[in-house]
Amino acid sequence: MSETNSRPAAGARIVLRDVTKTYPGQAGPAVDSFSMDIAPGELIMFVGPSGCGKTTTMKMINRIIEPTSGSITIDGEDVLSLDPNELRRRIGYVIQQIGLFPHMTIAENISVVPKLLSWDKKRTRDRVEELLAVVELDPKTYAARYPRQLSGGQQQRVGVARALAADPPVMLMDEPFGATDPITREKLQTEFLRLQEKLSKTIVFVTHDFDEAVRLGDRIAVLSERSQIEQFDTPANILANPANDYVSQFVGHGAALKRLGLIPVNQATLGPAVPVRGAIEVGINDSLRNALDLLVLSGGTPVAVVDAHGRVVGSIDIERISAVLGAEIVPSALTGARP
Amino acid sequence: MNNSFFSDFGLFLTKRSADIAESAAEHLVVVLVSLLIATVVGVGIGVLVWNRPIARSLSIAGAGVGLTIPSMALLALLIPVLGLGWVPTIAGLAFYALLPIIRNTVVGLSEVPPAVSESAQGMGMGPVRTLFRVQLPMAWPVVLTGVRVSAQLSMGIAAIAAYVGGPGLGEMIFKGLSSLGSKNALNYALVGTVGVILLALLLDAAFVLIRRLTTSRGLRV
Amino acid sequence: MTVQASRDLATAFGTASNRRGRYFSFKRIGTPVVIVVVLLALYWWLSTLALDSIELRTLNWDYLLERTFEHLRLTVVASAIVAVLAIPAGIALSRIHSRAVHAIVFGIANVGQSTPAIGLVILLAIVWKLGFEVALVGLVAYSILPVLRNTLVGLQQVDSNLTEAARGMGMRPLQVLAQIELPLAIPVIVAGLRTALVFCVGVATVATFINAGGLGDMIVNGLKLQRWPVLITGAVVVSCIALTIDWLAGLAEDLLKPKGL
Repeated sequence: MSETNSRPAAGARIVLRDVTKTYPGQAGPAVDSFSMDIAPGELIMFVGPSGCGKTTTMKMINRIIEPTSGSITIDGEDVLSLDPNELRRRIGYVIQQIGLFPHMTIAENISVVPKLLSWDKKRTRDRVEELLAVVELDPKTYAARYPRQLSGGQQQRVGVARALAADPPVMLMDEPFGATDPITREKLQTEFLRLQEKLSKTIVFVTHDFDEAVRLGDRIAVLSERSQIEQFDTPANILANPANDYVSQFVGHGAALKRLGLIPVNQATLGPAVPVRGAIEVGINDSLRNALDLLVLSGGTPVAVVDAHGRVVGSIDIERISAVLGAEIVPSALTGARP
Repeated sequence: MNNSFFSDFGLFLTKRSADIAESAAEHLVVVLVSLLIATVVGVGIGVLVWNRPIARSLSIAGAGVGLTIPSMALLALLIPVLGLGWVPTIAGLAFYALLPIIRNTVVGLSEVPPAVSESAQGMGMGPVRTLFRVQLPMAWPVVLTGVRVSAQLSMGIAAIAAYVGGPGLGEMIFKGLSSLGSKNALNYALVGTVGVILLALLLDAAFVLIRRLTTSRGLRV
Repeated sequence: MTVQASRDLATAFGTASNRRGRYFSFKRIGTPVVIVVVLLALYWWLSTLALDSIELRTLNWDYLLERTFEHLRLTVVASAIVAVLAIPAGIALSRIHSRAVHAIVFGIANVGQSTPAIGLVILLAIVWKLGFEVALVGLVAYSILPVLRNTLVGLQQVDSNLTEAARGMGMRPLQVLAQIELPLAIPVIVAGLRTALVFCVGVATVATFINAGGLGDMIVNGLKLQRWPVLITGAVVVSCIALTIDWLAGLAEDLLKPKGL
């Protein structure tokens, strides 16, 4: 079989050093001395308000926007010394408006980069089929269709498939799920996470939705004006210890709840199994947020924890959940009257 | 040589200024009269057909077909029926002017959001009142654009209409042709042609003004 | 004002062809039917008339075909020249990202649009000479503007997200132009060519005034000699040619329109 069916190219290391963008005729730089080290296979989220320069920063990696100064390397190779078009063929690129070419079929859209790389017909066709299957669109049904015959969610999947076409080690994604309705968006996010688990690309993902960042990111960079990094850490650490007021404002209310959403029940010290039939149950691999949700329903009575086979392995209550987080940030009202 | 041409042209302008002014005035009058007729009839037809699918299709297709007929052919066809002079000129101009106006009236009315018309009726406005108070005012900018296109179209066609004895600057152009070889030929043709261009640009500017004055401030971009 | 105005005009002209409704199928079938019926009626009417010798000199197949040939030659040659000149010029203009340049072009297009065709043709004849070449230059000058403008507008209206996506995938500027921008601008460009063709048929009619032949000859002779059958034949045939060309161009527009739009 062709190499396309072998293990996909793992991610590459991206290093940005003092990257600055100044637009002519503007007082200050749009991006000011941005530095970041991205490990291979990491999914990095850029979060910040609109106009903070997060998209500009991302677009400098594939030189859709040329940096004014600074250096960018991918796997040690200086991006600025490469031919920009050659460079872009090795970087997957997904934008919010998707940008599927309306006059090309789905198959033609996906084969744009393979064609630019002069792959032969068979290899291209096999790759298209493979990718459509990866994003769960039946090749027989969809390959010959035109973008306008697809729903928004389907188009977005094709957008991702197109970006993956030449199996690039790096992907840049600019609010790819921004224009879809909440239900579709959540579905796309789940699929995307599943996909990334298999592919482990190095991904820079821009969003203004902090919840999306928490849900998807390995690390989150919270950006402010001129693309200044306010905090760059894992979602759990940012939620637990926001670096400053700006970050806590961005995290918003309910930081504890968001953190609980990241932690599985098995991280808690479980209480004794409650042998009550018909009691409310939570899976051991569910999030603590789900457990809390059920505790509210149960009126505070401990909820049974079951393993993958449905066997009750313990119980969980509010104290045990708050113990995981560290009691100081759980309001006393929730934990009950404790002096 | 250039200098002599300009002084010659200047002399021509001063000597014939009365003639030129009269031609220009006549040109403007035939165009405006035709536009007025075409606007009344065109908006009327547009209002009647826009909500009837078959009539609308027929009138829009008809307008498209009508616009492709060479103006000289149509004007010629009017001669056996209407003779020469002002009457066939105005009839021909009004015919062409009608087409963009019908089309834009239909488009303009179709683009009024149904929710707006519906809420007008929900407030107790009858269909006629809805048309005059809500739908036509909202469609007006588009209708006016149609009238403006018609005005540009009519200006040029009116020049050809001189051939069927119509009044206006076209007479000057044809006078230039018939005096081909004499030194005034170029002067005549130039005055006629440039005169039409200037009139057209003036009228177009007037439409910008009319648009500002007659469009509801809420609809201005 | 000028840029906005010409955009308005462009959209006003464009609305009919952009809105493909039910009327379109009517137009597709209806137009040729109307043309055939009109021509048959004309033929039948002429055959019922007792033509005098003056009329017979022009109302015969040889004369009619020759005038038609002249008319079509002017139209087709002028349109071909227009296509060859205006489309590359429009593409070149679209690469210049200067508002001032575009405003000037739209301004010139605006003035050009208000120039009476008859004035242009006669002026050319006075400063140059009579005949085919002059008429050709007049036709080209007159119908080049809609194609130039539509090429520019067609390329400008391509969604910038698409061109950015194409660049982001590593297409070179020429590849973006050839594979994305031009295919998407084709409908607008062809609509401009269609307008140019129809303009040409019309302007070729007034070519008779500068001795360049065409069916305008019959109209002018018919009027001069007060022979209505001659005048009517010329006018009807030239109208049918205009309708046929517009109809064919409409078909081409549909065929060339990229699928998926």
